[in-house]
Amino acid sequence: MEDKLTSTRHRLHLMVCAGTACVSNRSFEIKEALEREIKKQGLAEEVLVVTTGCNGFCERGPLLVVQPGNIFYQQLTLKDIPHLVEEHFLKGRPVEKLMYKPPEGKKPIPVLNEIDFFKKQVLIALRNRGLIDPEKIEDYIARDGYQALVKALTQMTPEEIIEEIKKSGLRGRGGAGFPTGLKWEFVRLASTSNGGLKFVVCNGDEGDPGAFMDRSILEADPHSVIEGMVIGAKAIGAQQGYVYIRNEYPLALKRLTLALQEAREYGLLGENILGTGFNFDIKVARGAGAFVCGEETALLASIEGRLGEPRPRPPYPAQRGLYGHPTCINNVETWANVPVIVSRGADWFSKIGTKTSKGTKVFSLVGKINNTGLVEVPMGITLREIIFEIGGGIPGGKEFKAVQTGGPSGGCIPKEKLDLPIDYESLTEAGSMMGSGGMVVMDEDTCMVDVAKYFLSFTQDESCGKCTPCREGTKAMLDILDRITKGEGTEEDLQLLEDLAVSIKETALCGLGKTAPNPVLTTLRYFRDEYLTHIRDKKCPAHVCRDLNVYTIDEKTCLEVGHGCDVCRRNCVSEAIIGEKNQPHRIVQEKCIKCGVCYDVCKFGAVKVE
Amino acid sequence: MSQQAFEPKLVGFLCNWCSYTGADLAGTARMTYAPNLRIIRVMCSGRVDPQFVLKAFQEGADGVLISGCHPGDCHYQEGNYKALRRHRLLSKMLEQFGIEKERFRLEWVSAAEGAKFQKVCNEFTEQIRHLGPLSWNGGKKNE
Amino acid sequence: MIQITIDGKKLEVEEGTTILQAAEKAEIHIPTLCYHPLLEPYASCRVCVVEVNRQGKKELVTSCNTQVQPGMVIETQSERALRARKLNVEMLLARAPAAKPVQKIALELGIEKPRFEIKDPDRKCILCGLCVRTCEQVVGANAISFINRGQEREVSPPFGEPSEACIGCTACAYFCPTEAITFEDIHDRKVIHDELYLGPSTAIRVPVRQAVPMVPFIDEDNCIHFKTGNCQLCVKVCEKEAINHEMKEEEIEIEVGSIILASGFKSFDAYRIPAYGYGRFPNVITALEFERLVNASGPTGGKILLANGEEPKAVGIIHCVGSRDENYNEYCSRVCCMYSLKFAHLIKEKTEADIYDFYIDMRCFGKGYEEFYHRLLHEGTKFIRGRVSEITDIPLTEEEDGKLIIRVEDTLIGTVRRIPVDMVILATGLEPGLSHSELAHTFNISCSQDTFFLERHPKLAPVSTFSDGIFLAGTCQAPKDIPDTVAQAGAAASEALALADKGSFELEPITAEIDEKLCAGCQICVSLCPFSAITYNKEKHISEVNEALCKGCGTCVAACPSGAAQQKHFRDIQIMAEIEGIFID
Repeated sequence: MEDKLTSTRHRLHLMVCAGTACVSNRSFEIKEALEREIKKQGLAEEVLVVTTGCNGFCERGPLLVVQPGNIFYQQLTLKDIPHLVEEHFLKGRPVEKLMYKPPEGKKPIPVLNEIDFFKKQVLIALRNRGLIDPEKIEDYIARDGYQALVKALTQMTPEEIIEEIKKSGLRGRGGAGFPTGLKWEFVRLASTSNGGLKFVVCNGDEGDPGAFMDRSILEADPHSVIEGMVIGAKAIGAQQGYVYIRNEYPLALKRLTLALQEAREYGLLGENILGTGFNFDIKVARGAGAFVCGEETALLASIEGRLGEPRPRPPYPAQRGLYGHPTCINNVETWANVPVIVSRGADWFSKIGTKTSKGTKVFSLVGKINNTGLVEVPMGITLREIIFEIGGGIPGGKEFKAVQTGGPSGGCIPKEKLDLPIDYESLTEAGSMMGSGGMVVMDEDTCMVDVAKYFLSFTQDESCGKCTPCREGTKAMLDILDRITKGEGTEEDLQLLEDLAVSIKETALCGLGKTAPNPVLTTLRYFRDEYLTHIRDKKCPAHVCRDLNVYTIDEKTCLEVGHGCDVCRRNCVSEAIIGEKNQPHRIVQEKCIKCGVCYDVCKFGAVKVE
Repeated sequence: MSQQAFEPKLVGFLCNWCSYTGADLAGTARMTYAPNLRIIRVMCSGRVDPQFVLKAFQEGADGVLISGCHPGDCHYQEGNYKALRRHRLLSKMLEQFGIEKERFRLEWVSAAEGAKFQKVCNEFTEQIRHLGPLSWNGGKKNE
Repeated sequence: MIQITIDGKKLEVEEGTTILQAAEKAEIHIPTLCYHPLLEPYASCRVCVVEVNRQGKKELVTSCNTQVQPGMVIETQSERALRARKLNVEMLLARAPAAKPVQKIALELGIEKPRFEIKDPDRKCILCGLCVRTCEQVVGANAISFINRGQEREVSPPFGEPSEACIGCTACAYFCPTEAITFEDIHDRKVIHDELYLGPSTAIRVPVRQAVPMVPFIDEDNCIHFKTGNCQLCVKVCEKEAINHEMKEEEIEIEVGSIILASGFKSFDAYRIPAYGYGRFPNVITALEFERLVNASGPTGGKILLANGEEPKAVGIIHCVGSRDENYNEYCSRVCCMYSLKFAHLIKEKTEADIYDFYIDMRCFGKGYEEFYHRLLHEGTKFIRGRVSEITDIPLTEEEDGKLIIRVEDTLIGTVRRIPVDMVILATGLEPGLSHSELAHTFNISCSQDTFFLERHPKLAPVSTFSDGIFLAGTCQAPKDIPDTVAQAGAAASEALALADKGSFELEPITAEIDEKLCAGCQICVSLCPFSAITYNKEKHISEVNEALCKGCGTCVAACPSGAAQQKHFRDIQIMAEIEGIFID
């Protein structure tokens, strides 16, 4: 213990982000280079390099935060390191050129908190991000970790814990937003004639494309989830917990397993936790990556080793869950919120957010946006604030078109609704949903029919096939969308598409099917014109649907500006372009396969697309 | 006395349940068989005391037939086996007395075997007729 | 009890009732595909959706798994429910156009042709999961499951190979509503008349029609419960709770005063006469098979059909199969003539077929029998006197093509004839029943030459046997028809009752006795007595006979070396006198 705590003696702590995004940008090599350089400069006694979980600003990785001072370095490369070490850590002169510069090209911002991306964030679930080494329980404890557990186990009755959670207004962060305290109460009160067992389960089967909140939490702060689960177990009277985590998250898996090991060694897990006589342990169940296993009943079936498909509810897992016993199943982010509520109190927590939705929500901000990354914002913040202030707006000066929230199950929200304050109800009203927190930003170059088709093809592919509407309906819808993007759609198709979407939403068995039509429904609602253009004019306004594009060469531009450079002809795979060097070129439409290569290679803008 | 004129005198000890009924069946079925056999009914072939056989020969019988149920079918479970054993021993003794063993016969005739009884009866009569009269002077003839 | 409203009807149902069950109670039809009352709701087909109003919130729910709530207002035919139901059925129809139940519901809902892509017009499987759930929940074998997901989902055993877990019970096929799983796929069964199966079809059945008592039993060899320990569906559906799988066969000893043997007969095995082609030609059937075929509860519902499902144009009935034949049984089976006449009459009644009746002699001996024969003669049945020599399917003329040809010597016109027919019924005779000789041995009774049980006396004691207290009734004694059997059974019953009524038993006065004075106590008799009726008296040093046990065989008497043992009425002296008497000319 003594040895482990020596880190406090160092003058500087270099927090190297080791989230998946930064790791793939070689942050481990950066870390090694830093250590090498520091040793070389003889600073080993003064400067300590720490690997942390995901910082959130993934767009700018690999990242380094220097503590104290909160100096933020970004997009580091190996050759920057000697200079950085010498200038900053040895000579005390922060290196400006490695700091973050806002898109408008203003002065670099040295301090993390002052960067727009971080400024508006409120960190609860991600409270320890960038501040601790996720592989060291001591770091977590040093940040008041497991304080809430001590409080819950020694000073509170299970009823009091549940009451606190209820009072906090915490709702499930997995998407549906069911009040967590209420769920706990159900499980606590559920009859356990069947052997008296109860379970808590952490749903870490994050499958939405473009979403990585759960992964980041598990990678950056696994103990917060463990602590939340132990508190939950105490509250409902469970003896065994499971974390269901997909096998595609090897880093999260590794860190979680390590964290569980550490927690057991510290007596925070296992038998007689903290000497209170309470027994509880957590097992890790690995998922094979089926999207439907994020649905709670399918997830439980998967843990049991059965076919991962949902079953009708009721009975709810709270009544009959894992192996037939009452089970409390919450999402990673929900569990991570629990310790904070217990230690800081429900009143503090419920001050954040809106009337119906309390606290914060983590979003993964991706798509056509400057600051891609993970953000935790208070409920009630507007989309505009997230996208334009935190996210830094749309790159390339393009026009914002829509934002898709809630993953493939969510909907697309248009420009007009940018000032929508985000909470569970408002998003549902807008035709989308909170979901687990995916947020895909789209600019003017996006075809909304294509977007709907993309998300639908995902859900169609991931449908388990159990119920008719989801299995057959999503395929039927996809077929129609396919026809529309090929210019073969009719207006009757549009009606059928809408009928199908409504019917699937109303009659599908599980959440996957019920929400699968959302992208179609919202795009139909907000971008119906685009569909009609596809159908009536056989045109794709964003030129994304290639089958509808017509490529032509403006002979004047070709000759006068490009001097008939012949690049397009040489690159055309289907030999559809005729013309000689120094002569204007022409596309033979019958031969054109609409691959768009000529458009891409023409430096003079002579190739037009309609 | 010519051979043809010789009518053998035969004594038959028939068990009540099988052979006697078999004989009865032969009768009710109107089967004709040699009238030479004189039947004495006993409840079981196991009741036939060797003395009865000797007595029959002594009294002038030319042949003695013991007939009982087929093995396993005895109304008294195993009386016919006893009869079988006694027949073996007695046959040997009779030979020593000079009486041909053919004259002492054991047959299994069931209640259903009217025809077999007829056949046994006819055969035995012919056989004894062929052997000729038994001139045994161990009996009354000397007195 | 909960108050609900379905389609405007007010209803009171028990708590825990599903909407579907409540609708059934209200006689409102909700179509379903994946629902089965004996399996847990699966709610996958989404055809049973209805619109409910719960505290002002209107939503679509599946009726098969949604339980009613107080004050629930349910609309099974609302526009919204119908639209969703219709779309779901339309999608299923596109998936499995050959599935009959889907076609039926589609017709009801007015769907003519699905608007969606049909991949396989012959597909029947609608992925309702009844087979998978049956295998899991009922059979407990878990031999099949779903593989792949989404559009590619299908039912399969592990790795698509025949599974060792499969017990071949065919329950999956039984539960399959679309015939996507068929018997032939799974198990080799004798198939007759298209898709109807002859023979035991379920593990619970009445041993025979008209069985007495009319009580079903569980066939342990075919019952799933005895293979996997699961199922017990019968227990679930039996309201009287009359089924107990724990029951074991047990031997019960009952003390009785008398026994009536009525062990019946077995039908002559027609395979024994190869010339008649039974087993080779599917349309050569025995009398009992025809009886089953013509029975209204039989496999064809009483229709007389050939193996190919067509009605026969000519039928031959052959008498005396296995009877009155030196090669098989010499006796007349007595009933065949009359039942053959009955068959001829039934065939005449139900079909247009020509009927040929091949007989040796018509034996219409009973009351009203001869008159029935005459009626048949007038009805046009063709009677041919002569024993059939052969049945063949090798035609000599065009007319005989595809027919069964009966070769027979018509003794009335003195020529050999070939008669082409479609179906031949063999009037098989009667033979003693199964384990007949074992029974004879057990009860120590005799069999007559035809191997039927032998009565004590054909005229004077026709129902008694040589064993006291054991009586005969029915065809175990000799072939006889039903009236005769009933009469004989009545007689046997009265004999048995008379014995019981008397309360005492008369012993034959032929028991053995031992003269105390002569007995030397050698105990030879003790070991010989098969009934243990003789015991040795140690005090008196003599053997003594227990007269109640003595059956009077006289074995002991014959063996007694001292002449102390004597049998009443069969004393040595009496028999000696008899012998002497024989020779007094």
